[in-house]
Amino acid sequence: MDRPFGNPGSRFLLWVDSVGGYWVCLGDEVILGQPHPSARVDVPLLGDLSARHARIRRDGEGYILEALRETRMNGHRVEQPTLLSDGATIALGDTVRLLFRRPLALSATARLDFLSRHRTHPSSDAVLLMADTCVLGPRPSSHVVCRDWPCEVVLFRQEVGLFCQVTRVIRTTAGVITHPEGVMFEIDGHRQCQRGQICPNSRVAGEGFSFGLEAI
Amino acid sequence: MKPSVVPVDEADSVDVDFRPTDAGASRDLPAPAKFVYPSGSQPLVGYTIKRGVGHGGFGEVYYAVSDAGKEVALKLIRRNLDVELRGMRHCLNLKHPNLLAIYDIRRDEHGDTWVIMEYVSGHRLEEVIAANPQGMPQDQALAWFFGIAAGVACLHDHGIVHRDLKPGNIFCDEGVVKLGDYGLAKFISCSRRSGQTESVGTVHYMAPEIANGRYGKEIDIYALGVILYEMLTGHVPFEGESVGEVLMKHLTAQPDLSALNEPFRGVVARALDKDPAKRFKSVTEMLAELPRPARFEVYAGPLPAADAGQEMVSTGKSGKATSRHSVATVDEEPIFMAVRALFRRACDTWRQSSFNLPTKIALLVVGTGVLLMTSGTWLSVLIFLVMLYASYWVVRAILTALLPRSGAEALPSPAPPSAGETRPTAQVVAAEPMSSTMGWSAMASPLPNAKPRLTPSRFTDGEAEVLLLGPPRERLAQWLGSLVGGALATLAMGLVMLVLIGFREGAAEPELWSLTWWSRYAWLVAVSLSCTWAVLTASKFWEGRSGDAMLRRFLLMVIGLGLGLVAFGATAYFGVELTHERFMQILNVRPHRALSPSDGWASSKYYLAAFATLFFVVRWWRLADPARNVRMSLWTIIVCVVLAALAADLWGFPQPWLPMVACAVSVAVQLASPWIHPRDRRWRKT
Repeated sequence: MDRPFGNPGSRFLLWVDSVGGYWVCLGDEVILGQPHPSARVDVPLLGDLSARHARIRRDGEGYILEALRETRMNGHRVEQPTLLSDGATIALGDTVRLLFRRPLALSATARLDFLSRHRTHPSSDAVLLMADTCVLGPRPSSHVVCRDWPCEVVLFRQEVGLFCQVTRVIRTTAGVITHPEGVMFEIDGHRQCQRGQICPNSRVAGEGFSFGLEAI
Repeated sequence: MKPSVVPVDEADSVDVDFRPTDAGASRDLPAPAKFVYPSGSQPLVGYTIKRGVGHGGFGEVYYAVSDAGKEVALKLIRRNLDVELRGMRHCLNLKHPNLLAIYDIRRDEHGDTWVIMEYVSGHRLEEVIAANPQGMPQDQALAWFFGIAAGVACLHDHGIVHRDLKPGNIFCDEGVVKLGDYGLAKFISCSRRSGQTESVGTVHYMAPEIANGRYGKEIDIYALGVILYEMLTGHVPFEGESVGEVLMKHLTAQPDLSALNEPFRGVVARALDKDPAKRFKSVTEMLAELPRPARFEVYAGPLPAADAGQEMVSTGKSGKATSRHSVATVDEEPIFMAVRALFRRACDTWRQSSFNLPTKIALLVVGTGVLLMTSGTWLSVLIFLVMLYASYWVVRAILTALLPRSGAEALPSPAPPSAGETRPTAQVVAAEPMSSTMGWSAMASPLPNAKPRLTPSRFTDGEAEVLLLGPPRERLAQWLGSLVGGALATLAMGLVMLVLIGFREGAAEPELWSLTWWSRYAWLVAVSLSCTWAVLTASKFWEGRSGDAMLRRFLLMVIGLGLGLVAFGATAYFGVELTHERFMQILNVRPHRALSPSDGWASSKYYLAAFATLFFVVRWWRLADPARNVRMSLWTIIVCVVLAALAADLWGFPQPWLPMVACAVSVAVQLASPWIHPRDRRWRKT
């Protein structure tokens, strides 16, 4: 098997059925800007932007926003590299507005939601800046909240491969708790128990949940 | 999730449609919703599926992208239902901003039918309701409701009954409410009766007469009532543990409306009437009972723009501004409407002209002066015309009162079905001819516009909703500022008018800057200033409140009596003689006489009567209303001056003193009182 997620600039689209489409960037550094054939833009946004408009860098546990063109954070102009905190709004140019989220304190993965009507190209519902793990599940603190799923899916990187681990969850009045019981599911039609390796065009499906990856 | 029939929260309506009939009572997890087509598959040539979106009443819905990159929703219809597709095709070319567009219907190689539709990425109403378990904010609910209602009205207009209105079918995409699933309602109702699938999510919105197989427009009205109730309270009116229980409640139980305020209570009660004949006859009629949402443009923005009706000329600008200040004649009279439209257009041209503000004021002042000087000639013509119109109006009013009122009330209801009439179960009900009544054309999208026109009195003087104002401290500062501004404006206006009046031919005016002239100026300014301040102060108390216009007139009349005394006192104090000039005289009711300080107390009656009349006939507080149409209205000034001239003639008060005071006051009040631009106004229900 090739090692497609080893490239530092790897990206893929995560299509979660009944939930949404997510633009996942694996690199530690992403450039945000307008899609341009000659420039490499990690997060291409269809907005009134430059091809290289801003850079977000993962530095240890934190994220640093660097303005290459006019950028504001929480309404203040970004003059020098600034640390992003959970809930910060990022305004690129006059109209593009993003919300920076770090929903899970234990994971360095961050999420960019669109506050303005702008979307990536091809279209997605949010951008995930994935560090080592990414959580999909019914808990509100998940990176991708899948309200009706009966289980929680953790995507994680090990060396250069991407793996998927599925855990059953139980809903109680107090909230959602995980259950140690292993869950059977399928990756590209092959039965897996609890965990398995996925590749850039895999489809993962189990009881009550399904999602697919698409290489960009 | 909203509290639904099944307490297990997996009972999302997305899954629910796949359950067997008795699933409502079971507490098992629903069979997991499977999406047959994975990301990347191409069931239809030219479209690549990206992900599943949800499950409709009869198959999966996918998000797909065409080869060129167009985002669409693909709805799979597994069963081969040729007959039902006919109804679908009827909707294929409907165009309305509040309806989800259907692009095409295609068949794949397996014989399955796919509906290619507009993809919306926004929220479903279901999610918004779930996020507000205590009910949505009233304005937000109304904004949604007006959008939904406009879409339903469009369907009804084309003879289509939706039959499956529910929050799961309603979306908001970039601020526009979108109604989905309309063409497919027939499938659902078919399967429902055959008992193959029963959708728990839908029975909450099912009208009782559906049990008898009746599918008229009334069932949509019923569902609208349920949705309105649910948006405002956070839960549906009839809840139960099973489908049967909910259905039984729809048939027999009375909804508990105690959580709703008027007018919502009345509207929901009538929409949820068990007898379809007693419900609203049309969506328009239902909307007429509801206040317009303040943020209406957010959710149904394209609505007014989609208007192709005949009323746009006269309501060319924002509906609210027009409706609030249009003169309240419930029966709109054509000549009056035409004149008003003409005047509006003139005003618009004036506002959009390239002059800057000082130039505009200068033009206004010069124009007023010219009008005053030439008043002798045009006033008589105007009076003649007004009298002619008045007699015509009286005759018309008598005629309309005698004739049956087929106008205003019947307007929104296009030939309602008779009480016992059974609607055919076919999808397409007979559509009334489009052109026959104005009601139909008004039903499509301009209906929110049409409503205030029918009941303008609700909106005048802020009875239904009033302007949201700043804190008291800010209003005090505004008031003090307006007093200063008013003083400056009266000083200037007095000077301008006295100078202009000196230009009349053969005028026996005192020399400019002479002592007599100064005393006249002092009188004019003192009287105008006290009147301006009185109006500004009274209006400040009344702004942002609803109140009876007659009561306010009466209070102003009392104030007018006081101001008459002030004027009388000023005459004595400044030793000015108020001479009478014929040039402003309109009526000849009573001989005019000059008033001088030597007349003594006996002459005070002229002042009292003239000022009290002036303050009774003009609704002065509207000149200071922050929500007036324009900051400075020339028309208002003219009306004030003419009314003042008439009031002076009525009591034989020397001319042109009272019109001059009225002119100064109307200009000063409008200039000095705060004005909020229509786009910045926020409204509050009373």
